[in-house]
Amino acid sequence: MSEQKKISKPSRKPNVWLEFLGSMNLAITLLVMLAIASVIGTVLQQFQPVQDYIIKFGPFWYEVYGSLALYDVYGAAWFMIVLLFLLISTGVCVTRNTPVFIKDMKEYSEKLSINALKHQPNHTQFAVAGDFEQQKAYATEFLKHEGFKTRINQRDDGSVTVAGLKGHWNRLGYFFSHISIIIICIGALMDSNIYLKYFELTGSMQAETRSVPLSEVDKRAWLPPSNFSYRGNVNITEGRDADVLFLPWNEGYLVQQLPFRIEVKAFRIDYYDNGMPRTYESDLLLYADDLDEPIEKTIEVNHPLYYKNYAIYQSSYGDGGSLVNMNVHALASPIVSKTEIESAINRHESLTTPAGRFRVEFSDFKLHNIVPRSEEDALATGRKMKNNGPSVLFRVRNEEGRAWEYENYMIPDEQEGRWFYMSGVRNAVSEPFRYLFVPADDLRSKKRFFEFLALVNNAPKADRIYRQAMPKPMEMERANYETHMQLMQQLVKLFRETGFDGISRFIETNVPQDQQQEVASFYFGQLANALQTLYLHVLEQEGVPINSQGDISETHQVWFEDAMTAIASLNRYGPPLFFEMTSFDQRWSTGLQITKSPGKDVVYFGSALLTLGIFFMFYVRQRRVWIHLKRNGEQTDITIAGRDNRKLPETDKEFEKLVTNFRA
Amino acid sequence: MDMTIKKRSFLEIFTPRDILWTLILFIGSIIAWQVYQDEMDIYEVYILFGTALSAVWLGWYWRSFQTFSYVVTAISLLAIWMYARNDFDYEAQNDVFLLKYLISSQAAIMWMSFLVLVSTVTYFFALFRDSAFIYKLSTFIAWTAATLGFVGLMVRWKESWLIHPDYGHIPVSSLYEVFILFIVMTILMYLYYEQKFKTRAMGGFVMIVMSVSVLFVLWYVFDRQAHEIQPLIPALQSWWMKIHVPANFVGYGGFSIASMVGVAMLMRLAIEKRNPNNGLLKALPSHQIMDDIMYRSIAIGFAFFTVATILGAMWAAEAWGGYWSWDPKETWALIVWLNYAAWLHIRMTKGWHGAPMAWWAIIGLFITTFAFLGVNIFLSGLHSYGEL
Ligand code: HEM
Repeated sequence: MSEQKKISKPSRKPNVWLEFLGSMNLAITLLVMLAIASVIGTVLQQFQPVQDYIIKFGPFWYEVYGSLALYDVYGAAWFMIVLLFLLISTGVCVTRNTPVFIKDMKEYSEKLSINALKHQPNHTQFAVAGDFEQQKAYATEFLKHEGFKTRINQRDDGSVTVAGLKGHWNRLGYFFSHISIIIICIGALMDSNIYLKYFELTGSMQAETRSVPLSEVDKRAWLPPSNFSYRGNVNITEGRDADVLFLPWNEGYLVQQLPFRIEVKAFRIDYYDNGMPRTYESDLLLYADDLDEPIEKTIEVNHPLYYKNYAIYQSSYGDGGSLVNMNVHALASPIVSKTEIESAINRHESLTTPAGRFRVEFSDFKLHNIVPRSEEDALATGRKMKNNGPSVLFRVRNEEGRAWEYENYMIPDEQEGRWFYMSGVRNAVSEPFRYLFVPADDLRSKKRFFEFLALVNNAPKADRIYRQAMPKPMEMERANYETHMQLMQQLVKLFRETGFDGISRFIETNVPQDQQQEVASFYFGQLANALQTLYLHVLEQEGVPINSQGDISETHQVWFEDAMTAIASLNRYGPPLFFEMTSFDQRWSTGLQITKSPGKDVVYFGSALLTLGIFFMFYVRQRRVWIHLKRNGEQTDITIAGRDNRKLPETDKEFEKLVTNFRA
Repeated sequence: MDMTIKKRSFLEIFTPRDILWTLILFIGSIIAWQVYQDEMDIYEVYILFGTALSAVWLGWYWRSFQTFSYVVTAISLLAIWMYARNDFDYEAQNDVFLLKYLISSQAAIMWMSFLVLVSTVTYFFALFRDSAFIYKLSTFIAWTAATLGFVGLMVRWKESWLIHPDYGHIPVSSLYEVFILFIVMTILMYLYYEQKFKTRAMGGFVMIVMSVSVLFVLWYVFDRQAHEIQPLIPALQSWWMKIHVPANFVGYGGFSIASMVGVAMLMRLAIEKRNPNNGLLKALPSHQIMDDIMYRSIAIGFAFFTVATILGAMWAAEAWGGYWSWDPKETWALIVWLNYAAWLHIRMTKGWHGAPMAWWAIIGLFITTFAFLGVNIFLSGLHSYGEL
C-alpha cells in the first residue's frame, strides 16, 4: 500500500527501536500472543486450590506451570508486559502515522502534474466542444453534485485542475480506532489491582486466609476507603447492615472498608411455576456522613444502585440464618422419646444422646422444593411440577469426626396415594442422597411409626406381646415354645440391626446350602409373624378396630410394608436419630457486589471511539478525482483521473459511471 | 454536451415502494409501541424505534429485504391469528392443521432445517451442472428457508407469551434460539452477497456451515428437547440482550461466510494447479471477487462483533458488576476479535491475498465456533446458562 511506503520511510533520524516498536510485525505478534495467553487462561482453570493442580499435572509440571504464573494468567507479569508492549506499539504507530494521515486528509493534490494524473489507477481523456469557462464551472459544479469537496488549481499554462476529495473521514477512522485501544487499556489499568499487587510486594498488605470474625482479621488485610478501585462481595442478612466488602485475594481475602453503610431492610424472591427464580430484589438503605437522609432503593439483577462512583449490585442470595426448631427422635430407644433443639442455619449445636455425643451443623434452609412430577402424576393433576415444601440441610458429626449429611423435608409427600416423610442421607457431598421414606399414619403424622419402632426395639415388651398373642398350644412342649419365642426375638433383633439383607446373610453363612431355601422361608415367615403381631398391638393401642381374625384394612397392610422397608434401611441411616423440623422462621441474606470503578467511563469512551473508528475505516471510502481542463482551440481537452484509497471491484465501474455522468 | 446538472428528483431516489416501506415500518412500530408499551421500559422503546429506523435504511439499501419482511410478517400474523382464533391456547399448535404442520414456531423451524439441507444439495448440483435454472431454484429455496426460520422466531416470541405471561421473551436467550438466529442471519447475509456479486457459485459452500448447524439443531431438539421454551433467568431479563445477541450473530455470520468462501478459493487454486481447463473454473468466481467477498464479510463481521463485545461488556457491568471478568465467554470473544484484527492488518497493510488468507479465514471459523459453542460445552463460567 502506498501509505505503508510512507510510513516505513522514516522522515527524520532513523531509529531502529522506534522502527521495531511501530512495526506491523510486532503488532501482529503481540495480538497473536495475547490471543494465545487468553486461550491458556480459559482452558486451564484459574485460581484452583494447589492440591487440584498437583493431582492434575503431577508435582513437576505443577512447578513449571506455576513459575509461568499460568494459574493466574491475566494477573501475570508477562501478560502485563505483553499488554504494555501493545500499548507502546500502538502508541508509536499512532504518533507516526497520524500526521501523515491528517496531511492526506487535508490534501487535494490539485497540483499534480498532468503526467501524474495519467498514472492514477483510473484515468481517461477526451475532448469536448464548448466554452472553457463554462466547462470549468460545470466541472466544479459536477464534482460538488457527486459529493466531492473541490479545490481548483489554475496553472501557468492556462489549464485548470479541479480536484475532488470525498470520504476524508476514513483517515480519522485509523486515528480513532487505534487511539481508542490506548484509552481502553488505560481505563482497564485504572480498574486493575496493580496497586494492591504493589502493596503486597512491599509487604504492607497481606491477605487473611482464616475464617474468623471481622474483629480478628489481620490488620494488614484491611484496605482503607481511599483505595482507588475495587470490586468485592458482601452477604448481609435481612435487617442487618455492613460497611465492609470482601475481596478474594490469592488463597484468602482482603477486607475493604467502605465509606458508607448499607442496611438491608428486606429481601424478596419470586419463582416461576417450574421453580426457577424469576426475580430477586433487596430493599436497601444507604447511609453516608454527607447524606442527611439515607438513600432508599430497591435493587434487583440488572438494576443496580449507583451512588457517586460506587455501584451496588444484586448478585446472589442465600440463607441468612433462618431459625429452625427440631425434634430429635431416638431411633434405637425402647420407648418413644425425643429432645427439642432450637437453632438456626449456620449455627451448630452439641447433642448428647444414649448413642453418643454429636455435633449438629445446620447449613441451609429451603422454603420451596419444586420438582417435576412423574408422568402419570402430571397427567392426573394436569401440572408438571410440585412443591415438596420446606427442607433443612444439616450435618451430624460424631466424636470421631465422622459426618453424615441430611436433607429433611417438613411436610409429607404423596406417592401413589400414600404419604411419606422424606429424609435424604449421604456420607460425602459428592454422593447423591439416599432417601428414607417414613410412612405417615392415618393422621399424616409420624407418631405410629415411632410407636412401632420403639416396640420393635423393646425386647421385653415385645416378648410379652408375642406370648399374649400366641399362647403355648396345649400339645406343644414348653422347651419348643421357648425356642420359638426366642427365635422370633432374635430374628426381630437381627432385622432391626441389619435389615432383610442381614437375615439373608446370616442364613448364607450359618445354614448348609441345601437347607437354605427352606430355612429362609421359615425365618422370613416367623419375622413377618412377629412384626405383624407387634403392629396389631400398635393399631389396637391407637384404637383402630380389628376383628377377631386379626384382619386389617388394605391401607393399614400397605403401611406395614412401608414401615418394614423403612426400618430395614435404618442400619444405613447413620446415627440412630431422626431430626424432625417442627417450625421455622425464614431469614434471607442478600449477596451484594459493590464496585468502585473509576476506569469504567474511560473504557466506555474508548469503546465508543473504537466503534466510530472502525466504521469510518471500513465504510467510508476515501476517493479522489481530478478533472483537468485545457483549452485546445475551439475545444477543451479533458483529463479525468481517479483514485480510491482501497481498490475494490466496483472502483472501475464507479469511475466509468462518473465519466459517463460527466459527459451526459 | 448538456452543461446543466440534473438534480435527481425525490421520486427518482425513492420509489413508491420505498415510501410505502417507510410508511409501513413507521406505522407498524407506532402500533407495536401502543400495544405493548406497558411491557416496555424506555430503552426497549428506543430499541423498537431504532430497529424500525435500521430496517427502513436496510430496506432502501437492499430492496429484497422489503419483500422478505412483508412475507415474514404476513405468515407470522397468520400464525398468530390462528392462535387467536383458539383463544390464544398454546396447545392449539397440536390441533390446527396449518400450525401443526407448517407455521407454529417448531414446524416452521423444522421446515427451515429441511430446506437448508435441500438447498445445499441443489446449490452444488447447480455448480457442477452449471445450470442456471437449478441455481435460481436454490436461491428460491434459500430465501424460503430464511423466511420460515424468521417466521419460526417471530411465532416463538408470541408462543413464549402464550405458555405463561411470565415466560414471555424475545427468542434470543437460549443456545437453541440463537442457533436459529445464526442460520437465518447468515443465509440473509449470503443472499445479499449473491445479489451484489451476481454469482450463485458460493451458495453450496456457505450452506455447508448452515447444514452442519441444522444437524446440530436437530440433534439438540431430538436428543435434548432444547426447543422447549424456558423462562428467563434474572440475569437475562434485560434490554441489553435484545441488541447484544443479534449484533453478535451478524459477526458470526460474516466470519462463517468468509471461511466458506475461503474453502471455495482453496478449491479453485487447487483445480487451477492440476487442470487449468477444468469447467469448474469458469463456474467459480474469480480470485478477486472471492477475495473481496472474504474481506467484506470479515469487515462487517468484525465491526458488528466489536459492537457486540462492547455491548456485552456494558451489560456485564450492569448485571454482574464488572465490565470485564475474564469469564471464558468474554475471553473467547476477545480471542476471536484479536484474531480477525490480525487478519485485517495483514491484509490491509501487507496486502496479502489468496491461499494464506483463505486458510486463515477457515481457521478463524474454528476459533469462532469454539467461542460460540465450545465454551458452552467445555468451559464453565458466568455465561453458563447456555450450557448444553
Ligand atoms: C489491539 C490493537 C489493534 C487493533 C485492534 C487494531 C485494529 C485495526 C483495524 C480493525 C484496522 C482496519 C483494517 C482495515 O482498514 O480494514 C487497522 C488498520 C491499521 N492498523 Fe491497527 N490495530 C491495532 C494495533 C495496531 C498497531 C500496534 C499498529 C502499528 C503497527 C497498527 C497499524 C495499523 C495500520 C497502519 C492500519 C492501516 C490503516 C489504513 O490503511 O487505513 N495497528 N487496525
